[in-house]
Amino acid sequence: MVRFKNRYVLCEVVSEDPRCRQCIEDRAVGLAVRDAIGRVHGDYGLACCSISFTVKYLNAYTGTVLLRCRKDSYRLLCSALPFVRQLESRNQRYPCFLNTLHVGGTIRTCQKFLIQYNRRQLLMLLQNCTNEEERRCIQKSLLSCSLTEEQSQSGDEEDDDGTETD
Amino acid sequence: MPPAAAFERRVLRSAAEHHYLRVRLELPDGGARPSVAQFKQLVVSALRELHGEVGAALPVDVLTYEEKTLSAILRVVSSGLVKLWSALTLLGFYQNRRCAFRVLQVKPCISISSCVIWQQ
Repeated sequence: MVRFKNRYVLCEVVSEDPRCRQCIEDRAVGLAVRDAIGRVHGDYGLACCSISFTVKYLNAYTGTVLLRCRKDSYRLLCSALPFVRQLESRNQRYPCFLNTLHVGGTIRTCQKFLIQYNRRQLLMLLQNCTNEEERRCIQKSLLSCSLTEEQSQSGDEEDDDGTETD
Repeated sequence: MPPAAAFERRVLRSAAEHHYLRVRLELPDGGARPSVAQFKQLVVSALRELHGEVGAALPVDVLTYEEKTLSAILRVVSSGLVKLWSALTLLGFYQNRRCAFRVLQVKPCISISSCVIWQQ
């Protein structure tokens, strides 16, 4: 009973505006989440969740965000995530919402989940894509995605291509 | 030296649904006293400040209110007692005037017969 336990919340930023992607950065997302917690749970909730709160990982292309908080206050954080309505950065704000994908105790479990999730997403994209060019791109990504255990512990969980179909 | 307060405590086994607080608002400056609606709004705004929208949505009722003495009996769901009590403790201002809430009694039921009684 000696170490501090954390919870890692994996979410996805969903927005109708494609320009929202440039707004997805760790400071903007962190501020938006903190602001939502402050509104929903007040000063007490904000202080509770801010103890070990940080944005651990961010992927602007897929909109994946990994947040960390203490185990005692992860319920406050998770219940406040639906109240994040916009991301603001550099005096521009875009409406968006956060989808919670997974809550895990370590970064490794979240990474494993993210790999499976992204594989399923690629398969769904393959089913839904309309023209041959996109189909070939996605098939190439699917065939090439793999987790390589390198010395420097840098795992590429997916090989997502830059063209978005949504 | 003031005499030691007589203190008696009987504990009820089954958890009660509501808790009742007897509180008194202290407004040291002799300004206008809040009406019952303003009093309730003050309580809800204290909850909103400390516990956010979730705290402000806590079902709190003002059962009695005396404007002369600024004392009231509040009723709250038992699970929200800690939130309400902490919010009242940390409230410092009413319309930019310094104020303080004094919590005089907390009981799990309104009748005297079968509940925790603190006699002061």
